Amino acid sequence: MKTYSAKPADIEKKWFIVDADGVILGRLAVRIANLLRGKHKPMYTPHMDCGDNVIVVNAGKVRLTGNKLAGKIYYRHTGHPGGIKQRTAGQILDGKHPERVLLKAVERMVPDGPLGRQQMRNLRVYAGAEHPHEAQAPAVLDVGAENPKNRRSA
Amino acid sequence: MARVKRGVTTHARHKKVVDQAKGFRGRGKNVFRAAIERVEKSLQYAYRDRRVRKRNFRSLWIQRINAGAREHGLTYAQFMHGMKNAGIDVDRKVLSDLAVREPAAFKALVEKAQSALGDRG
Repeated sequence: MKTYSAKPADIEKKWFIVDADGVILGRLAVRIANLLRGKHKPMYTPHMDCGDNVIVVNAGKVRLTGNKLAGKIYYRHTGHPGGIKQRTAGQILDGKHPERVLLKAVERMVPDGPLGRQQMRNLRVYAGAEHPHEAQAPAVLDVGAENPKNRRSA
Repeated sequence: MARVKRGVTTHARHKKVVDQAKGFRGRGKNVFRAAIERVEKSLQYAYRDRRVRKRNFRSLWIQRINAGAREHGLTYAQFMHGMKNAGIDVDRKVLSDLAVREPAAFKALVEKAQSALGDRG
């Protein structure tokens, strides 16, 4: 008997929509990363893009616990000497692209590499409640209700 | 006696190595001195990875069984514990194949495992 290996024709990519309003960042990101990678499917094949498409709305309203709004720092380097720059999670959430907090969290949970980049393209994150993917008829996935720890009121 | 030239044997010996280096990158595929190092290393990798392959497959089967069990509300650990309690001795290779190809049979197994779990679940 040969272990099953998913072929491109076997892969069926579904669409999910998640409302991030009030959901804890890390708990949401794990859930999304697993969906993107296809680890929830028994046919999971590590070298194939067998995950689903995920749409996230209200990504600007994710919750962080503890002191992370001020204490979680995102660093980047411009390449010049002394060119390290930093922003806190709170600054990004209040800034122009609040969805980047969730995007970064998921990106860091998906493997680096060509496959991981492809899987990240199956994720669409929107800061507001609007999204242009009605035609895909996404299935609603209520991550906040899956576990009482997933949601926290302000 | 005929004169023996040495190029023939050397060429044959080099060809044996370079032929094994097919598909390598850079100088490793056609320069003998580089190729022999790459070929020897590749044989070491091949020896090691024939053993690693068995672990890789087992971990893939476990990931698939976990995904299948979670579809029916059990984690991998709970499922395997339940299977043990129920006295169902099916190896992970077969279980993962059932999870992919025979979801109905796998579901029946998960239900058996569920009912064989104790109170602590």
